[in-house]
Amino acid sequence: MADVIASARAEGRTLLTEVESKQLLADAGIPVAMAQLATTAGEAVRIADDLGYPVVMKVVSPDIAHKSDVGGVVVNLADAEALQAAHGEMMARVQEAAPNASILGVAVQSMAPQGAEVIVGATTDPQFGPVMMFGLGGVFVEVLKDVAFRIVPLEPRDARQMVREIKGLPILQGVRGQAPADLEALEALILQVSAFMAAHPEVAELDLNPVFAYEEGVLAVDARVVLAEPVGADDVSGVEVSA
Amino acid sequence: MNVDRARLDRALNPRSVVVVGDKGPHYMWLSNLSEFEGPVYSVQLDEKEIPGILEKGIENFSSLTEIPGEVDLVICAVPRQVTPYIVADAVKKEVGGVAMFTSGFVETGDEVGARLQEQIVAAAREAGLPLVGPNCMGVYNRRLGVKFGQGQEKGQPDEDGHLSIISQSGTHGISITAGMQALGIRVTRTISIGNAAVLNETDYLEYLRDDPDTPVIVMYLEGVRDGRQFASLLRKVTREKPVVIWRGGRTSAGARAAASHTASLASDDAIWSALMRQAGAISTDSAEETLDVAQALVRMPRSDRRGLALIAMTGGQSVAITDQFARAGFEVPELSQQSYDRLAEFFVTIGGSYRNPFDASSTIGREDDNLAKILDILADDANIEGVALEMQARDFEKGTERLDGQIGLLRSYQERTQQPVVAIMPEGGFGAATPGILADARVHVGRAGFATYASFARAAIAFGRVRDYWAWRGEVGC
Repeated sequence: MADVIASARAEGRTLLTEVESKQLLADAGIPVAMAQLATTAGEAVRIADDLGYPVVMKVVSPDIAHKSDVGGVVVNLADAEALQAAHGEMMARVQEAAPNASILGVAVQSMAPQGAEVIVGATTDPQFGPVMMFGLGGVFVEVLKDVAFRIVPLEPRDARQMVREIKGLPILQGVRGQAPADLEALEALILQVSAFMAAHPEVAELDLNPVFAYEEGVLAVDARVVLAEPVGADDVSGVEVSA
Repeated sequence: MNVDRARLDRALNPRSVVVVGDKGPHYMWLSNLSEFEGPVYSVQLDEKEIPGILEKGIENFSSLTEIPGEVDLVICAVPRQVTPYIVADAVKKEVGGVAMFTSGFVETGDEVGARLQEQIVAAAREAGLPLVGPNCMGVYNRRLGVKFGQGQEKGQPDEDGHLSIISQSGTHGISITAGMQALGIRVTRTISIGNAAVLNETDYLEYLRDDPDTPVIVMYLEGVRDGRQFASLLRKVTREKPVVIWRGGRTSAGARAAASHTASLASDDAIWSALMRQAGAISTDSAEETLDVAQALVRMPRSDRRGLALIAMTGGQSVAITDQFARAGFEVPELSQQSYDRLAEFFVTIGGSYRNPFDASSTIGREDDNLAKILDILADDANIEGVALEMQARDFEKGTERLDGQIGLLRSYQERTQQPVVAIMPEGGFGAATPGILADARVHVGRAGFATYASFARAAIAFGRVRDYWAWRGEVGC
């Protein structure tokens, strides 16, 4: 897993691509929907044929942090023909929205079945170091900011409280006949990410957004990892100065 | 910790104190030491100031190094440009520590101040000299009568303390200490930490954790210098003793711009709240709330129970008190049939009620025998795990007898049941007195050893916070 970080460092990047991010997280045992990089439309079709349809296709660029903002995500592609057509349209859209972005290709992954959407994230607080965030996805996180934080390292009770602290909890527990989400699997995921952050001080920020929470199990369908600025350029606010 | 604990112990529990640079006409620092029993000396070079010092019967020297015997605490009030010399002398003299009142350092934002602070910090660090401040009020020690404000109490040597205070602001340190003392809470020590340049909040927290005379820790903080160390220590301390933290300036820092959703939502306030919850610290937002919570911690026996008997004086107040305590997560259970049978024998139900909540003025408004009976019945009732009583300040202006009778009953209830009891004297409550008399009556009840509040809401919130803390202690197994 060091290669992903080392190659980003070598290129002077702090933003890992989705494919790199997922590789890093999967190596740490975190359940992610793996995505494969395709540099051409033909390669994308070959990958999708292997995976089986429907698939999701997303633009891969070290310069684009929010793919859907530039029209760089297409879901539910039913066959090779649809994929090929979508590829051309997406490339045109992205180039228009972000003309200076270097585009490495597209990530192709299986279309995961829809689950309850949540976000699991981590960031580095200038005072307290790595912290974890949990919340419902979509409008709940963006508009209502219905999220819970804890400071790394988390104990199991912290993860349990985080999941239960958000106002939207009843949605996860199952409303209007929907099956309840697997809260234990969410807690386990939060603890895994906490351990990942504790073990990787070189990771500054991380979003698993969305994570699909199913009746059994969870799956991160998108992932974004941001590395810390290389040591030396960083501030030293978290560094112990006493003898 | 940056310094040797034994040395810090000397500074915070001094047997001898020297004031450097005190000034007339009031000689504030020397006057603050009027009840201190150990030797007090002065260092002052200004010829104009010396006669006033000698007049107070205090020996004056021209340098710290000339003082005979050991010096445990130096209170430094010299102009900022002189401080490096005082620190150098303190190092040479091997004093216990220095409390530096002098200001004009990094807090000014000017370069001279920053450089001076760097200089004294480097000298203190190198010598392992505990330096409190600079830009602070220093150290209050109740047992020894070391004070930084004239109103502060000197206690008796054999009296245990209730709590200690660490304050980043001198003003809040003074006012919280005064507020506690007004209610009869024994503040073991208050440390005003100012710029916290050598010793920071984590060091003081660590010191108080191990201080046997500090069962509860109260802090006022604006920032934290080493967040990770502080967080990890706080998580340990709260498992041994309650820590109440009033954090000022929480609204100033908003969310940051960032590449991830998580980072953009991780505001300073959100992270602080998370830390408080995760560490089991009790977070407060004002001086009043801090006092409210401290009272509940100090005055009530440890309890995580929720079932309360609520005794109000009128029907309207019985609804109001129930609303507030229910909102704070308490339950107002029905009593046992046996209790109802016993209450029926004497309770005045015309214009009154005893279902719980109690509407009790017609039964206990004029005499206390019935309050004694009610408390007896509640003490026998297994559904009841604590009592909140609306107390009457009526007649207080004529004497304390009436209130003392009720206090005695509450005390025997608490001793018998080991349950928390809270006394509330709301503005505009039954038997309404003037606000001044109400305030005096509250102080009287507080000094008698009970948590006392000016509203149902404040009582319920503070009581609830403390109940949640004890519940948390139970959950984490200590």
